[in-house]
Amino acid sequence: MARVDLRRICKSYPGVTALDNVELVVEPGEFFTLLGPSGCGKTTLLRTIAGFNRQDSGEILFDGTRIDTMPAHLRNIGMVYQDYAIFPHKSVADNVAFGLAMRRVARSEIESRVARALDVVQLGGLATRMPHELSGGQQQRVALARAMVISPQILLMDEPLSNLDAKLRVELRDDIRDLQRSLGITTIYVTHDQEEALVISDRICIMQGGRVHQVASPLDVYGRPATLFVASFVGSMNVFDGLSVGPGGEVTIGAATRALPALAGRAEITLAMRPEDVILSRRGEEAGEAIEIEGTVDKVTYAGREAFYRLTCGDGPRLLAHVSRPDQGRLASVGDRLPVALPLARLHAFDPAGGRRVELRP
Amino acid sequence: MIERLRVDFWTLVMVLAVAVLGMLLIWPLSSIFAASFIDNTTREPTLGNYARVLGQPYFQVALGNSLIVGVGGMLGAMLLGVPLAALTARYVIIGRDFLATLAVLALVSPPFIGAYAWIMMLGRNGFVRLLLEDMGIDAPSIYGFFGIILVFSLKFYPFVFLLASSSLRTINPSVEEAAEGLGAGPWRRFFGVTLPLVFPAVSAGALLTFVLSLADFGTPAIVGGNVRVLATTAYNLFTSEMTGNPGLASATSVVLIVLSLVVVVLQRASVRRRNVAGNLIRKSLPKQLGPLASVAAHLVCYAIVLASSLPSLVVMYTSFRKTSGPVFKPGYGLDSYERILREVPHVIGNSATYSLLSVALIVVLGSLIGYLVARGESRVAGWLDSALFIPYIVPGVVLGLAFVVTFNVKPIEITGTATIIVLMLFIRRLPYSVRSSAAILKQIRGSIEEAAVSLGASPARAFMKITLPLMLPGIVAGALMSFITAINELSSSLILYVGRTMTMPVRIYLSVLDGEFGTAAALSTILLVASGAAVYAVHWVSGRNESAFV
Repeated sequence: MARVDLRRICKSYPGVTALDNVELVVEPGEFFTLLGPSGCGKTTLLRTIAGFNRQDSGEILFDGTRIDTMPAHLRNIGMVYQDYAIFPHKSVADNVAFGLAMRRVARSEIESRVARALDVVQLGGLATRMPHELSGGQQQRVALARAMVISPQILLMDEPLSNLDAKLRVELRDDIRDLQRSLGITTIYVTHDQEEALVISDRICIMQGGRVHQVASPLDVYGRPATLFVASFVGSMNVFDGLSVGPGGEVTIGAATRALPALAGRAEITLAMRPEDVILSRRGEEAGEAIEIEGTVDKVTYAGREAFYRLTCGDGPRLLAHVSRPDQGRLASVGDRLPVALPLARLHAFDPAGGRRVELRP
Repeated sequence: MIERLRVDFWTLVMVLAVAVLGMLLIWPLSSIFAASFIDNTTREPTLGNYARVLGQPYFQVALGNSLIVGVGGMLGAMLLGVPLAALTARYVIIGRDFLATLAVLALVSPPFIGAYAWIMMLGRNGFVRLLLEDMGIDAPSIYGFFGIILVFSLKFYPFVFLLASSSLRTINPSVEEAAEGLGAGPWRRFFGVTLPLVFPAVSAGALLTFVLSLADFGTPAIVGGNVRVLATTAYNLFTSEMTGNPGLASATSVVLIVLSLVVVVLQRASVRRRNVAGNLIRKSLPKQLGPLASVAAHLVCYAIVLASSLPSLVVMYTSFRKTSGPVFKPGYGLDSYERILREVPHVIGNSATYSLLSVALIVVLGSLIGYLVARGESRVAGWLDSALFIPYIVPGVVLGLAFVVTFNVKPIEITGTATIIVLMLFIRRLPYSVRSSAAILKQIRGSIEEAAVSLGASPARAFMKITLPLMLPGIVAGALMSFITAINELSSSLILYVGRTMTMPVRIYLSVLDGEFGTAAALSTILLVASGAAVYAVHWVSGRNESAFV
């Protein structure tokens, strides 16, 4: 269990800035996720921590000790890869034993620790199997046991679930989380799957173009996105781009104009709202104050437990609305005109210039 | 920091690789390049050698002949190789594996053995010629262009065949079916879809046969008659006692290298624009032809392959005939083998020792450099990769001359030793091993090795414990291929040998020139058997994959 400090890490490749002054602290025992689209620098950062890349500048500290000058094999890091990286010519037990053998652990101790590690990942009976006899999910469990058995200071995982099918992905995801919590090992996890990140993490770091956009709990990342990028990358978001703001903070969406005092003095603002926050009825008491407009249904997407409508609001914006528990009688059809309420409490605002969040309520 | 000072294992390997290539490749070739600008009598710098090579009819004829046999060999090889590949890949041909094995065997037998077998068949007293004369048919003379191009075609077509068939097998049949569904008939489909997809492979095969035909020394030396090519001309210029002219020989060599280089560059440029990635989701199944077409297809395939195995069979057969000089006498026996053991037993030992020694060196350095080429990100790795292409395009005669020019004076005076022959075999065949190691490494994901490092193995240890065991089949296949080509090497050995260090191919060549067909046949048979055994081993190691031979 170690605390990880990343200080002003920069790395560039010819023509690309992969890491732009990254500054992060990962607390001991934390499950910390690097989330972002491909090319955002998350894997580069992970590999820099592991020691397979060298940063151009900046420092990496484990528990206050600099480790970035240390070669990768001395850093005592457990690493789990997207493609499993199981040694194909070694049995399951030999794969797991490899790190211990490198540490010259006594044979008898190796045996008992390997057996325990395989039990923990529920592969107790498969110790003598060869990798090609295992499924992808089992191989990844071997990789997990192999990384954990050396009692690493930190555990790094590079999209470990993305080669698995949907059902296995959920199963192994939960197992990884339980295992990490019971061992209390500091874990840095890379993924491009925002749902996976939300489910598994204590905190999430959202990256784009080598820069950190937000570091926060899943709740805050989804509920209070720090930038417009985070807002649209995590979950889906209706964005009303570059609206002009009146002197008293008046904003017009569709046919409705509403004064938002917090915006007074600004020329332009970008507003946003999640589809599930859009209310498709005359506002009820619980919604509080809302922007009320009318929309025409363009498209209906039915997905069983939920449905989505795409609506056009007069000459104004198009937006997506989420309908939970849709049933036959109540499902709208294309061309229907529906009342649309956008509750102010659920509205997000972003500075059109930098994309930073603007608080609408004090 | 102490860590900064520690020299990384792979840095050491890179330094070693650069030193070896610098000493055995760049230095000798620079020497020969420099020598080509020195006047033979005055020792003054001059362009006279090039003026003579490019200006005098004597050389112009050799240059023209080289181009004729190069293009002829290439076209012949394609004419045999492409149909064989297309037929065996697309249609049911009984005994396909057998044909492929025979083709590979034809490939690994040295070309000069083919040349000399054809002399025994179609030469002045050749048995086929005599047979045809009895029937009143006048066979064409084997000496000259006909013989050279015939030998090259039958010798080099397996390259085209192997490259084209492995490429044909990676074409997704859905692509061809899609073309059919869009209304393209069989011919349109072949020329519009299939051919462009296999073009890179076929052109690579064509290029290879052109360069090999251009570089080959033994064949034109044996069946060339009065057709002189650049390789034989350079050799004669250098070795003839009276007119020995290193400057002129060097200039001829440089012209030969430039010629090969131009072709290589042209081929690479034409392939780069057509780089098509295979997307193999579904494997194609061979189709059954109608009865008549099937018989025709079988006839074509078997005729091609049997014609190319004919020389080896003839050689083996004649090794058991009783002979007196060039004349075959009635009766069979082991006389020829007894004569070798009595007169030149050391050539067999030499060949075995030199090939094994050079292969040992090749395996160690080849797999390490293969790793650098496949995994290295530094500019030096790219440079190594290009430098290793040099031996492919520098003919053996030329590198042999370069070695003599470079290593007969201090600081490294090793001409006439076994060392120089081993080093020559080593550098000539190193690229094969590098390539096969690099190829198999590309199939081993880098993450596997990184995982080992993250688990506490140093980079060197991770390589030894994880990567090397996984590379082993590729390394062994590469080593066997190096062994086959090393033990059959003629041209450079012919320049570097002295009596003590004579090898089997050199002895065979000299025996053929002396008309000692019996001993030549016996020695050739030993070479063929050794090569055949190595081929069998490659098959066994690489799981019956013929493309391991290219």
